Amino acid sequence: MKRTGYLYDSNFLLHETSSWHPEVPERLKAIHQGIQKDGLLERLVPIKASRADMRWIETVHEKAYIDRFNDACVSGVRVFDSPDNQMCDMTFETALLAAGGVLNAAEMIMKEAIDNAFCAVRPPGHHAERAAAMGFCYFNNVAIAARYLQIEWKIQRVAIIDFDVHHGNGTQHIFEEDATVFYYSIHEHPSFAYPGTGRDFEEGTGKGKGFTKNSPVLPGQGDEAYRAFLQRDLVPAIEAFVPEIIVVSAGFDAHEEDDMSGIRLSTEGFSWIMEQIVSLAETYTRGRLLSVLEGGYALHRLGELARNHVTILLEGGADVR
Amino acid sequence: MFVSKSMARKVITVTPEDGILTAREKMKTHQIRHLPVVDPEDRLVGIVTDRDIRSAMPSIVLEDYDSRKEREKLAKIRVHEIMTRNPVTVLPTHTLQDVLMLIQSTRVGALPVVDEDGRIKGIIGVRDLIRAFINVLGIGEPGTLLCILVEDKIGTMKRIVDAVTEEQISIGSILVARSWEEGKRAVFPYLLTQNVSRVKQKFTDLGFTLLDPLEWYLDQLPPDGR
Repeated sequence: MKRTGYLYDSNFLLHETSSWHPEVPERLKAIHQGIQKDGLLERLVPIKASRADMRWIETVHEKAYIDRFNDACVSGVRVFDSPDNQMCDMTFETALLAAGGVLNAAEMIMKEAIDNAFCAVRPPGHHAERAAAMGFCYFNNVAIAARYLQIEWKIQRVAIIDFDVHHGNGTQHIFEEDATVFYYSIHEHPSFAYPGTGRDFEEGTGKGKGFTKNSPVLPGQGDEAYRAFLQRDLVPAIEAFVPEIIVVSAGFDAHEEDDMSGIRLSTEGFSWIMEQIVSLAETYTRGRLLSVLEGGYALHRLGELARNHVTILLEGGADVR
Repeated sequence: MFVSKSMARKVITVTPEDGILTAREKMKTHQIRHLPVVDPEDRLVGIVTDRDIRSAMPSIVLEDYDSRKEREKLAKIRVHEIMTRNPVTVLPTHTLQDVLMLIQSTRVGALPVVDEDGRIKGIIGVRDLIRAFINVLGIGEPGTLLCILVEDKIGTMKRIVDAVTEEQISIGSILVARSWEEGKRAVFPYLLTQNVSRVKQKFTDLGFTLLDPLEWYLDQLPPDGR
């Protein structure tokens, strides 16, 4: 049994988009309800959200971008950088709180107060570029956490595993020249899905060449393709990289009942993926694993998906559905 | 859509009297495969390609025992001996469509661009066309591609665009592919958003058929396979 941390704060609901937008507060409510069921919540270590120290945000995002985002938000701008990025007065604060909460989780792992954690945050982060908001994302939570772990805790090698159905363009671009952060993403093939990057020949640049790996999956495929890709692409790459911590961009939108993609992963498929990741963490990082929510829009499925996800963090890969 | 906008303006050239080893060096240095051959007034007199040079080379490996002799022989060959005279050219006022059709029919990789007096102005090749098409496809920008199979009749595109507009989604491009199925077209709206579930539902409600992505075809070989 692991000590698993859980980050949730009702303030994450304050970031509002619009009634027809898929990235809505109800997503987190569904996740939190799922985790409250069957006494699961009581088995978790609560993690507090707090505003991130600006110096950590600035390890990833340009100062000018952060200011532009804040200014837009307080001056009543409701669509920022791209039409997908709708916001309200509280968006900047919520984004800051989400990033800060993830940093708190990272700190607790490093202080060995917990072994691993799941951060149920909004807004998501993996599309956010150094100087641009994109695809519902503002601050790149996992990227900021990776830099924090490197700077504050002298972690040499961070592996980021991203199974959101969309490619994490922001995370890839932030670390593409960096050999100390390995980025792996499995997602729907970019010729069929947003954002149009993450082709299998994108492998990093300069010093970072070989430290980015992408597995594009064709629409209509599901559990079997994910099994094959993870075994072929992810496992040997982690074996070669030997990370000291694994950070997960956990998106649940590859589910067969999620209409944001053409990928058909089953609920069991998601569990299998997480079991693999947990077992990689067992082997290479002494169990240290930080999982952060990205997408996932099938409200009726998010509860069970999050519950399974957290149960696997607690109990390991073994006999979970 | 004019050649003048898409061509390379800095043209690397050779003269008819240059040796072919000089030409080969220039190709290597600039990573190009076509060198326009010009006279002292910059008038185009021919074109030499990496293939012309390779054909002029002896089949033996240059490092062989008499490599020096071979090298001297090669060094004496002048560009005008192996170049193509009167190559296919275009004017800066030709269009990218002209170039596409010409490249397809002549099977050359690049066309020198000359003015009315035959003076070299630029060169345009397959790579420039690829860049132009990456641009019009919009795939440099984040978005989602859909594919709708529609009847080939007037007004269909309006209904598609109206549906996208009602969802306040920006359009990166709309491509139309010829189908080998009689009376049908495949329409590919490339939408600059991650958020396509609603517009997809709308298309279905409008009676359009959203094609299974695995059956999409931007291009297919014609039935005769050519």
